[in-house]
Amino acid sequence: MTFRTTRRSLIKGIGTSALALAAPRLALAQAKTLVAATFPGTWNEADRQIIAPAFKQLTGASVTQSIVLGTDQVSRLVAAKGNKPPFDVAFFDAPQVIDAVRDGLIVEYPLTDSPAYKELLPSAQDKWGPKITSQVIGIGYNPNKIKTPPTSWDDLWDPKYKGRVGLTALNSQLGIAFIAELNRVKGGTDDNFDPAFKALRELLPNVGAVGANLGAFATLWQQEQIDIAPYNFNFVQTLKAKDVPVEFAIPTSGPVGWTTSLHLVANAAEPELAAKYIDLHLGAAIQEQMLKPPFDVIPTNSKVKLEGAITRSLAKTQDDLAKIRTLDWAKLNPQRGALIDRFNRDIKI
Amino acid sequence: MNVSDTKLALPLVALFVAFFIAPLLVLLALSLHGDVAMKTWTLANYAKFFSDSFSTSILVDTLLLGVKATLVCLVFGFPIAWLCARAGARWQSVLLFLVILPILTSVVVRTFSWIVILGRQGVLNQIAMGLGLVNEPLKLLYTETGVVMVLAQVQMPLMVLPILTVLSRMDPNLADASRVLGAGEWRTLWKVTLPLSIPGIIAGCILTYSASITAFVTQSLIGGARLIYMPLNIYQQAVGANNWPFAAAISIIFMIAVIAVVAVLSAIARRSETHARA
Repeated sequence: MTFRTTRRSLIKGIGTSALALAAPRLALAQAKTLVAATFPGTWNEADRQIIAPAFKQLTGASVTQSIVLGTDQVSRLVAAKGNKPPFDVAFFDAPQVIDAVRDGLIVEYPLTDSPAYKELLPSAQDKWGPKITSQVIGIGYNPNKIKTPPTSWDDLWDPKYKGRVGLTALNSQLGIAFIAELNRVKGGTDDNFDPAFKALRELLPNVGAVGANLGAFATLWQQEQIDIAPYNFNFVQTLKAKDVPVEFAIPTSGPVGWTTSLHLVANAAEPELAAKYIDLHLGAAIQEQMLKPPFDVIPTNSKVKLEGAITRSLAKTQDDLAKIRTLDWAKLNPQRGALIDRFNRDIKI
Repeated sequence: MNVSDTKLALPLVALFVAFFIAPLLVLLALSLHGDVAMKTWTLANYAKFFSDSFSTSILVDTLLLGVKATLVCLVFGFPIAWLCARAGARWQSVLLFLVILPILTSVVVRTFSWIVILGRQGVLNQIAMGLGLVNEPLKLLYTETGVVMVLAQVQMPLMVLPILTVLSRMDPNLADASRVLGAGEWRTLWKVTLPLSIPGIIAGCILTYSASITAFVTQSLIGGARLIYMPLNIYQQAVGANNWPFAAAISIIFMIAVIAVVAVLSAIARRSETHARA
């Protein structure tokens, strides 16, 4: 069978395919979409189950999640600088905010247009983007294998945990925060990380696995490859809700945490929708929903009373939360590359 | 092919240049600069890589990983291809489907299922302990052995299909002639079938090798962060440490290393092809 391609049939063919390609776009032009970044684990689930429907109800627009870690978000925004950014709302941990402000990746948050902003705790208010939660690290352990909860970071070095300790790579916040806290506990300063790495080398015989990313790290708990490791409060709650045997314990040296905030990206495609999306996270109603299990997201709205797992493990009141120690990110950020390099050299088999 | 024939390939060439060559040149330019804004020209990134034994050991480990994974894949892949080629028509389509089936699922899904199989309480360990072969669970995850095993299985279709193609095109009269002249099955295999299938084997090896050493997902999920290979190194330098010029230099070095290995294998294939035709 031969096809006679005349000019007419060619034009007809091209016209139909062009229309077919344009048609979906014509239909979708009615409903707007916002692309917002979020973290893997607890936050993308909370965002999908609680925030997305609430946002749809409020504005009629839908939101697409971009599940990316904080450092990766900064890389993508730097790569897209000057052009349309890959997402309109950035989800940063405290260290990334410093880099983003310096590189001009985010714009100031429109405080006057945000009704829920005033309800935030004073410590959570920030012109560059309100803080919506904090994250706290401590010791995660398997309660089936470890009957008495560990009380100090030194428990990780206990010979009875040989091959059962887990670690995570330093490209995540959890990794950097653990090294920084370890450094402080072992007597180092932000300028001198030798004590931390000396302790790390001593820990190596106990280390069962080092997860390359947080998803792989969660798998270690599920597969019972590790019994004890530094872990994040919220990730422990999420795994517990999935019936994975893991519990959270605060070491006697105290919890360490950092704040997490939402930001309006420069050159956003939908800045008004983005501002409304961020405002939605600040309201008492939404924060109370996110506070409930399995998310247990620490609230920043002054009207929300703490309850549940947070009061059992972390703090009874908002004031106690404010006392959780943080790290000096301005000093740690420039060292990130060197720390990753040093960590790799020590752990490489 | 005359001139007007080559003009037909122009759209594809244009696409290739725009979406492959051009970004590669940008990457090369980035690697020769000292900073992301590309203000200073320097060879320091390459010097930094080659003067550091840690970095070169990562490159060597990665190239060796590829060799191991390819060899294991070949040892298991050749019999499978041979079986497929010799199977009856009905069985052949079933076997072919089973071989291609892995490619139809995402590599992330396949790798995660290997984590379930190789884990301490995984299928493999339960069978081994149940049969009494070992007293304690074997440590397969987060070891190079585990990575080689998973890479060999994940890349198996890439090895089997080229070999199968060559074996099925082989003249059956040759095997008959060998048998008539008195050679047993094994001798026929060794002296006749294997040499004639070298082009297919080389093609399979090239594909498997390139796929294995660049398999970021499998290496990092099964190997963990302690087994550092080039893809993970590039990712950590680019995204974790935000050192784009150095990451670009590592990428270019890695690419040249892979091209060198593939070129050597292709040269061997070309020589054996003339041998086969003669």
